[in-house]
Amino acid sequence: MPRLLARLAALLVFAVAATRPLTAQGAASPAAPAAERAPAAEPAHEGAAPQEGAHAAKEEHTDIITPHITDAHAIDVPTIFPPFVKEVELPRWAPVHVGSFEIDFSPTKHVVMLLLAALIVCTVLILVARSQARDHDQFGHAKGWAGGVEAMVLYLRNTVILPNVGPHGNAFVPFLLTLFFFILTANMLGLIPYGSTATGNISVTATLALITFVVVEVAGMRAQGMGYLNTIFFWPHDMSLGMRIPMFLIISPIEMVGKITRPFALAIRLFANMTAGHIVVLAFIGLIFFFKSYAIAGGPFVMAVAIMFLELFVAVLQAFVFTLLASVFIGQVRAAHH
Amino acid sequence: MSRMSSRLVAALTLVALTAAPAFASEGEAQAPVNLLAPNGGLMFWTLLIFLVVFAVLAKFAFKPLMAAVEARELALESSLAQAKADRDAAAKLMADAQAALDASRREAQQLVADGRAAGEKLKGDLLEAGKTQQAELLERARRELNAEKERAIVELRREAVELAIKGAGKVIEKNLDDATNRQLVEGFLSTIGPR
Repeated sequence: MPRLLARLAALLVFAVAATRPLTAQGAASPAAPAAERAPAAEPAHEGAAPQEGAHAAKEEHTDIITPHITDAHAIDVPTIFPPFVKEVELPRWAPVHVGSFEIDFSPTKHVVMLLLAALIVCTVLILVARSQARDHDQFGHAKGWAGGVEAMVLYLRNTVILPNVGPHGNAFVPFLLTLFFFILTANMLGLIPYGSTATGNISVTATLALITFVVVEVAGMRAQGMGYLNTIFFWPHDMSLGMRIPMFLIISPIEMVGKITRPFALAIRLFANMTAGHIVVLAFIGLIFFFKSYAIAGGPFVMAVAIMFLELFVAVLQAFVFTLLASVFIGQVRAAHH
Repeated sequence: MSRMSSRLVAALTLVALTAAPAFASEGEAQAPVNLLAPNGGLMFWTLLIFLVVFAVLAKFAFKPLMAAVEARELALESSLAQAKADRDAAAKLMADAQAALDASRREAQQLVADGRAAGEKLKGDLLEAGKTQQAELLERARRELNAEKERAIVELRREAVELAIKGAGKVIEKNLDDATNRQLVEGFLSTIGPR
């Protein structure tokens, strides 16, 4: 540990020394500490001083965050030449008119990421299932990677899905597990280089939430039959007719809004969580270029790394929360009796 | 320590690379974007991809996975039940064996007690029989002795009478007739004998 501290200190000294030429044009006194001089450099940058030239003026308007968190009709592929990235344009198809809507079915970056996630998740889980079956025959239980995935699956099934979904919950296990692993993989793909977070796109999360909504409502219909209508229309049987009608008129809209709120919350939660983390990471990285100082760079850099670790956790957590809430909603609608 | 720093370097490189695409898109014309605007095409692709993934995973991944897990759970339950049954059976066998052991021990004790009692009884009987026999023998011997004695006495008396008669006859042969003499002698003898 002391050795690491010594190295860090040496790095810091080097960084301060290296800032001198940078800050020299900031017109501050050379003796002042680098950290104090950095803000002094800021107005010069902000104001697009003429001596900084067209390059600085162009950079000023650069938004590195929005392209990263939004969809595009191009994907970033790695190359060995600087800047180590190449934009590959995806094919554009003519929009299709469905009624009054115009839908563009051309593949986008997030479609590619979703396909990649689908490919990864299918490959990994099918291989796991195979190796698990083999190990099961040979040793009676799964080993290694398959054992780990099996433990995750079993954890989700036994402590998240089955207790929440209620009796005969096994029918919902494949759907909810698919949700978890698909969202998890899509979340993770946003964290690797050249990746993009498809689950940070409201269209993707809204679709997943809509699928969940349909599953929840169909589960309610199958479990309750005609009683399902009671989860939409409030019609209390233990009240007099005089009370029942006003109660119906007041409470029914609330029930309906409650139904719609769930998928809405699911979609917004996942979208906002995945987007926010990336914005924070990029904001920290942006600070480095904003201040143009090696002395300042260390702080945002460490923070960006820390936020990346937090993002790893959030990627798992949000996949888990989506699955958990879907299980809870299914359980609620199946058990509901008003 | 070097492992730690190399990990640090790797992590930092990763962060830098993640940001690389962002830098690459610098300079693009930026229009204000609405992050909440849904894209129908993307929604369609999401739906399609998710449904395909669901179908594939449900059939080829989760079905065999769950089958194996359920088989294991079943095997576990059945082996637990088997173990319980075995334990119960073993307990029952143990109890049976214990009962049999107790019974045989009681029987052995009974046998020993019986044997001892029989021995005691036999001993007592034998002793009793010996005593009785002894007494009988003694009695008989005594009776025979007495009979012999009686006979001897009678004999002796007769002998003595005859001897006396013979002697007296020799001495006083003629004068005295036999019957009166005999009466005389016998009267004398009765004064001296217990008879």
